[in-house]
Amino acid sequence: MADQKSSKPLMSGYLMSTQLMEVDGCNRCQECMKWCPTFAVRPDRPGITPMYKNARWRELMAKSHSLRAKIFGPKPLNDDEMKQFTEDTYSCTTCGVCGTVCEAGIKTVELWEAMRPNLVKRGDGPVGKQSFFPKLLGGDRNPYMAKQEERLCWVPKDAKVDESGELFYFAGCTAAYRQQALGVATVRILNNLNVDFAMLGKNEWCCASALVRTGQREIMAEHAVHNIDALKDGGAKNVLFACAGCLRNAAIDWPMWYEGYIPYETMPLSVFLREKIRKGEVKYKIPLNYRFTYHDPCHNGRHLMHLKGKDWAFEAPRDCIQSIPGVKFQDMVRNRALQRCCGAGGGVKAGVPDLAMDCAMARVQDATEIQAEVIASTCPFCRLNLIDGRNTAKSPIKMVDIVEMMAASMGLDTTIPENPYTKFQSQDVLVCAPTECKLDTVERKAPGKDLVGEAH
Amino acid sequence: MAFYTLGLTFNLVIFLTVIVLAVWIYGIYFNFKKWGLGSTGYHDQLRNSFWLFLATWIHEAFKDGLWVFLRTVVLDVLLLRRTLARSPVRWVMHMSMFYGFLALAALSGLGLMLDIIEHFNLVGLAHEAEAVKEMLALPFDIFGYLLLIGATIAVSRRIFLKFVRDNSSAYDAFLIGAVFLITVTGFYAEWMRGNSFLVGNAFEYPIYAPHFALIHTVLAIGLFALVLPWSKYIHVIATPMTLLGNRGGE
Repeated sequence: MADQKSSKPLMSGYLMSTQLMEVDGCNRCQECMKWCPTFAVRPDRPGITPMYKNARWRELMAKSHSLRAKIFGPKPLNDDEMKQFTEDTYSCTTCGVCGTVCEAGIKTVELWEAMRPNLVKRGDGPVGKQSFFPKLLGGDRNPYMAKQEERLCWVPKDAKVDESGELFYFAGCTAAYRQQALGVATVRILNNLNVDFAMLGKNEWCCASALVRTGQREIMAEHAVHNIDALKDGGAKNVLFACAGCLRNAAIDWPMWYEGYIPYETMPLSVFLREKIRKGEVKYKIPLNYRFTYHDPCHNGRHLMHLKGKDWAFEAPRDCIQSIPGVKFQDMVRNRALQRCCGAGGGVKAGVPDLAMDCAMARVQDATEIQAEVIASTCPFCRLNLIDGRNTAKSPIKMVDIVEMMAASMGLDTTIPENPYTKFQSQDVLVCAPTECKLDTVERKAPGKDLVGEAH
Repeated sequence: MAFYTLGLTFNLVIFLTVIVLAVWIYGIYFNFKKWGLGSTGYHDQLRNSFWLFLATWIHEAFKDGLWVFLRTVVLDVLLLRRTLARSPVRWVMHMSMFYGFLALAALSGLGLMLDIIEHFNLVGLAHEAEAVKEMLALPFDIFGYLLLIGATIAVSRRIFLKFVRDNSSAYDAFLIGAVFLITVTGFYAEWMRGNSFLVGNAFEYPIYAPHFALIHTVLAIGLFALVLPWSKYIHVIATPMTLLGNRGGE
């Protein structure tokens, strides 16, 4: 068995020729090591850093493709080396800070995401619970084993949501099944602003970010094509996302799997709401008297800034936060393009949960250092992981989504209707009286129910 | 720098030069071919083609148009903007090594051409070629010192900075040490000839100057042709190509 595996080639596709060049373009300046969020909490494992991963890939490739291999024949891949390389490669949150600081301009996220499918094909990857993703998504079309028919079970009865139209809100699986407060807040705000919008309902399939991030691309094409077609069929011209992971996938990954014309624009909800704030359409009623900081989600920030610009990626959410009365805002030391990842991305939460937890605790510590009371964000997965980190660190810091902050301050009713997934809700929520909002924690009532706690 | 000693003749040197260049060019071809194993697009099959690698790289480099390509050439490749943004010290180091190395390589090529002109008295310019060769001593010195500054910073960082030292491999040590050694031997060979711009004839020892020049040349050529294309030093080629292929990077 081991012999069969070691005879399998290192590469079976996926990596572009220019990416192989990028591996050799690493000049070992070590800059990535200073910023890598996983190395920061695992300083005894330099192998997880980009510089070492590139070096290891070069060594593994050299076994079959060096001058020595050409003259004397290839060497088989050593199982222990491959196991170590796989562990190192999957101990990466694909946050992309290494690419931001890379002196050689290597597009690291794309590189790691192209290496991983080769490891999957060889049978080395994925790791931990990540292997459940294809089965879950292939069967249920979401990672929570939830029913597609119940995608909109959280929408309040009096809310107005269309089935088609030019503007769509793509909620994502987590807002639909696990952080419904975010979905309710979004719907309430859009209704309050008299914005006509539609949702796909049961036709909304998981964005499949987890598959791309972990190198399991088989089901990916189905999900990308289905969602794009569904949005096109619904007449979408603009699609709003309140989930950073879904947004990244819809904006960057889906189009790579779709051959036809895509007629709609993808937009972070924060950008849309900022426009409304600037036009004076957003009316706040209740101040939020807390010290806030903002955690830039990688998917909504670094990954998106080249496509949508730094203003959309970094400034729009900050503008939304600072528009709310009572808010005292301060950035963490590491912010915007150089922000520290929460640790949940790249499948790490599902694959290497203790690493994700340590990263989250480091990020919570970043917020603690500036005496923040609340970490705001625009990514349900960052929020989930930061809550776990906060709980482990026994920190009093709260986590909320910007949309929920706005809805609370606007005095909107964000009560989640009772539904089959109420018992799985686990989030900090804003409980508002007529003159004041207080942050409260809703404990998960059925812990450990999720097979895969983290998809992105 | 003359090194016609130990039985070396002009013709033999030219022959060896051709061999070295051939090895170097094959090394570059070998790497391009290796990179060409990859696909030409996202989720595509492996190709294994030297030409498809070139085509893919050109496609990527010019994806955003000629202006972006030129901007990347100037800001990212020639001025190392990304390095400056991260560490001014490393920027000085890289700029010194980059321009010192390039200029010395160019001057060496020019020196060889002048040697050929002088040897064959091409278009009757032997005398002028000799005069120009004499004039090259100053730029050789200047760019040599530039490379020395860069190499010294590189070696010092590995010695004095714990984080850098701890994450340096034997590879790093060998290659940075080799550059440092080549630079120092180049200076010493020049000093032994007794006509150095800065130290004059303080280290003059003309009998063995050609021998030392030969050692320097063999080391430099060894690094250029036998190490660069076959080691991590291929980043000298791959890094600028990556910057261009990624239109300056993220």
